[in-house]
Amino acid sequence: MFKRKDKKPPKATYKEVWSKGGWASKLSFFLMGVSSLKNRQWVRGIAYLAIEIAFFAWFVMNGISALSMLSNLGAIKKKQLVFDKQEGVYITKLPDNSVTILLFGVLAVLLLLGIIFLYVTNLRATKKLYIDNRDGEHVETNMEQLKSLFDSRLHTTLMTIPIIGILAFTVLPTLYMISMAFTNYDSKHSIGFSWTGFQAFGNVLSGDLAGTFFPVLGWTLVWAVCATATTFFFGVLLAMLIESKGIKFKGVWRTLFVIVYAVPQFVSLLLMAQFLDPQGPLNNILMNWGLIAHPINFIGASASPLVARITVIVVNMWIGIPVSMLVSTAIIQNLPQDQIEAARMDGANALQVFRSITFPQILFVMAPSLIQQFIGNINNFNVIYLLTGGYPMNNNYVGAGDTDLLVTWLYNLVFGQTQRYNASAVLGILIFILSAVFSLAAYRRTNAFKEG
Amino acid sequence: MKSYKVQRRLSLTFRYLLLVVLAVIWLVPILWIILASFSYNDTGFVSTFWPEKFTIQNYVGILNSSQFPFLDWMRNTFIVAVISMVLSTFVTISVAYALSRLRFRFRKPFLQIALVLGMFPGFMSMIALYYILKSFNMLNLGGLVLVYVGGAGLGFYIAKGFFDTIPRSMDEAAIIDGATRWQVFIHIGLPMSRPMIVYTALMAFIGPWIDFIFSGIILSSSGNARTYTIAYGLYNMLHSTKGSSTTYFTQFIAGCVVIAIPITILFVIMQKFYVNGITAGADKG
Amino acid sequence: MKLWKKVAVAGTTLLAAVALVACSGGSSSSSTASSKSGSVSGSVSLWVDTTQVPFYKTIVKNFNKKYPDIKVKLTQSPNGSANAKTDVGKDPAKAADVFEVPNDQLGQLAESGYINPLSPAAEKTVKANNTSVSVDGVTWKGKMYAFPFAEQAQTIYYNKSKLTAEDVKSWDTLTSKGVLATDFSNSYNFYPVMFSAGTELFGKDGETLKGTTANTEQGVNALKWLAAQKSNKGVMQTSNALNQLKSGHAQAIIDGPWDAANLKKILGDNYAVAPYPTINIGGEQKQMQAFLGIEAFAVNSHTDAKNQKAAAALAEFITNKQSQLIVYEESGQIPTDKATQASDKVASDPVAKAVMVMSKPGYSTLMPKMPQMATFWDAATPLINGAYTGSVKEAQYTTKLDAFVKRISKAN
Repeated sequence: MFKRKDKKPPKATYKEVWSKGGWASKLSFFLMGVSSLKNRQWVRGIAYLAIEIAFFAWFVMNGISALSMLSNLGAIKKKQLVFDKQEGVYITKLPDNSVTILLFGVLAVLLLLGIIFLYVTNLRATKKLYIDNRDGEHVETNMEQLKSLFDSRLHTTLMTIPIIGILAFTVLPTLYMISMAFTNYDSKHSIGFSWTGFQAFGNVLSGDLAGTFFPVLGWTLVWAVCATATTFFFGVLLAMLIESKGIKFKGVWRTLFVIVYAVPQFVSLLLMAQFLDPQGPLNNILMNWGLIAHPINFIGASASPLVARITVIVVNMWIGIPVSMLVSTAIIQNLPQDQIEAARMDGANALQVFRSITFPQILFVMAPSLIQQFIGNINNFNVIYLLTGGYPMNNNYVGAGDTDLLVTWLYNLVFGQTQRYNASAVLGILIFILSAVFSLAAYRRTNAFKEG
Repeated sequence: MKSYKVQRRLSLTFRYLLLVVLAVIWLVPILWIILASFSYNDTGFVSTFWPEKFTIQNYVGILNSSQFPFLDWMRNTFIVAVISMVLSTFVTISVAYALSRLRFRFRKPFLQIALVLGMFPGFMSMIALYYILKSFNMLNLGGLVLVYVGGAGLGFYIAKGFFDTIPRSMDEAAIIDGATRWQVFIHIGLPMSRPMIVYTALMAFIGPWIDFIFSGIILSSSGNARTYTIAYGLYNMLHSTKGSSTTYFTQFIAGCVVIAIPITILFVIMQKFYVNGITAGADKG
Repeated sequence: MKLWKKVAVAGTTLLAAVALVACSGGSSSSSTASSKSGSVSGSVSLWVDTTQVPFYKTIVKNFNKKYPDIKVKLTQSPNGSANAKTDVGKDPAKAADVFEVPNDQLGQLAESGYINPLSPAAEKTVKANNTSVSVDGVTWKGKMYAFPFAEQAQTIYYNKSKLTAEDVKSWDTLTSKGVLATDFSNSYNFYPVMFSAGTELFGKDGETLKGTTANTEQGVNALKWLAAQKSNKGVMQTSNALNQLKSGHAQAIIDGPWDAANLKKILGDNYAVAPYPTINIGGEQKQMQAFLGIEAFAVNSHTDAKNQKAAAALAEFITNKQSQLIVYEESGQIPTDKATQASDKVASDPVAKAVMVMSKPGYSTLMPKMPQMATFWDAATPLINGAYTGSVKEAQYTTKLDAFVKRISKAN
């Protein structure tokens, strides 16, 4: 974005457009689209004008108040109880609803940025029209413009709706979440809350939640590494087993494993939790066979943390290996065979071939998707929430258990007993920083890998 | 030579044995889920592998229940899945194609912003999404479709990776022959990306069947069980009333099996496309 | 430039207007209620648990006989009354006008301003008709915030072919003659041992922030008792006690009236129920206690002023004597209405009898209503479970209890 190729020096400055342009050019600085209209680019002109009118109508009606209320998130913070004598009932005068004030404030800021963006494109269009007219060049007609939406401006056509969707359903909520981290939005300030700066960050990093945050963070990282590595490594092994010479009905074997992945997780994991219960089927089978004398508490509330963590990783292998097997199969089938042949000729055995040729090649191809998987595992809500619910309990933690990841803890803080929305927003930001740092570092390394 | 043959056969037998053992380990829990759905149970907990008493009452119960309108949930989910599949696929493919084949000013910044946005955990945004939809009066299945489709624009990575691997020479030839970029998109880009479209559509179709969190947040306030989708409906079955997890547990399993079967079959049939999708994306990242 | 001035002037005027509208819109206090006395009219919505919708339909029908002008929209609550706090908190404006709350969430709902207190007239009727403990259960800082209709306390359910009524009177004989299956990871089950030991939670009234006395010798005794249960052969830790009872591995369980119907099915003729036994704690024989919960219907403070009266009328009606009886018959919830409790049907029901015994002082402690109860559940559960499993060692008891009390006694 910094190296813009063959950029010609501007043929005119905005100053020139303003001072030398006709009335339409001048007016375009206030009323978007006027110069387009003057040049008979009806659709574009009307669109600009209509957007501006709509914006100002909205701005005057709601925008100003939405923005001004953003400064303190509503003036009334405390509820008030009044007795309505006439009706004989109590009535609660509620605080200003900071949730909607914040949301619509953020929305107003976004709309403001949007109109500024459109204003800039409007100026740019005005300048282009000015130059074309000044130099006597061809001015785009209305029809040409419309047609260009399917040719040189195809990206506009393809991207507009998706971008609106992303703005409304991803950007706006994300900005809202980020701003929530700087408030005191929790169960005690559930309707009217205010800005409190970095206080919530302090709670998480050094306050009452710190004793939970750092251990949970540690386990999240351990989990992400183990979960990614085990599913990848054993997936490759399984793929090689199925692909090895002499095995018939390869497709059937693959399908048998894929079934597990295909079953919706909220079914397979919720029931897996019961399968592993101390009094559940697995323990019953093992006891009937005489393999164990006492039931093993795999993932219950009072299981041993280590057992539970290992169980979680193993169950994740159960779900994850089939996918990674499928993907590795595709890669193995496309691996160049000459190197392997050559190594065989030199007398390398299967293990050596695997260790020094096949595996590195698969790793090389899979590296980017492994990074994605790693980040996916940091945020792997389903496996933990559905399987253990964070159990076993840990009496040193606040609102989390031994297998809780940052993301399930975040969920507990929002929907659990103590609704600490601001703390969970802080966690969201920290998870983001974590993911960003890891993926950046990893992408750097893989790039270096590729170049070197 | 003979010993080599014996060795080969031994190795093959061993590998078959290993595969059988692994497959059994993998499938036993699934088998148990199916068995449990046929077991008679009134304690909310199935503690044996083989049911003590077989019954099909769980299936009869779930299909006839008036409080838990299972068939309505199926229908709702199917409608949501189909609509969101069509729209999401359109959105994802458009974005991926534009980012891969077209060059425009905001391409690079868009790619970077999309990468960053994808790293925020989605849960906090649920509260905001709820209020956004509420302000449009869309706390219903339509709103749910909007949420699924709204996120589709960011799921372009795999499809973009796929488009990146298709050589551009054909596009260029067509443009020299006077085709517009739209025509190139429709007549060259889309036909070539058929496996990608199938993959994207498949993923978008499965999504609504397994999402119990977003659907719960958006649909629950209607208070009308007939408007739920299947995943939230089933989830709600166990959590709605004290003691209901006891009464409805086996019906819940039966309901799960009913929806898991088509999804599993669909996925197994489509696994080829799935692999193509993932590996195409993995090549380029 | 003139245009801008105009826009600015118009803008500020509009801003003022918008601000005015927004403020009055934000609070539902703009009292436009007409002073029509006599028949109440309006339109209100009602949330009940999913499985209870059918019989509440009957109750609402009865209600409409008395109040034909009030339109009632009966729906199921999103995640059940146990999650009222989260469901209402998500968006109080969208929550029903009348909804069910367990009393431990009452303080937080009232403090947040989600629910309205009862009118003095309604307060009087509720007080006159219901047991005093249920009235206490819905009172917060001197005002009643909900209409009670059911009381919940856990009791002992046992197989009477294996245990006699005499056996279940003491924990020690109960667990020496049979096996009791229960779940220590649920502090609702076992925190009350703390009460048996003689400690208080948020004071006697359950409303005193600094009134928790768990970090005392008595508290340590309670934890010791819990730790001792780990080696007690007659006590079985399970996540599903019902199943153990059915399979015969256990002969008794601790459970609440909500499971009574299932229990009757499972035990058949051998079904029996009794109040909690006595336990030996700190060398003394004490009554084992339970948490007493009051289920109640509250009126949403976001309800339009004009519908407030209708909502209150609905809440009052669906918790009156007649409705409580229907709820009892349909779902086995034990009524709080004194006359209903005394009626033949209820008085002859062993479950109701046991729960009514449990609701007496000495047998149970009313769940406090403090907003801090949320923190309490989070903090107590791992502590109780840790004491049982032994992950909290005896030497740590004092420090752990100190930390626990400190954590739940924070004002903010």
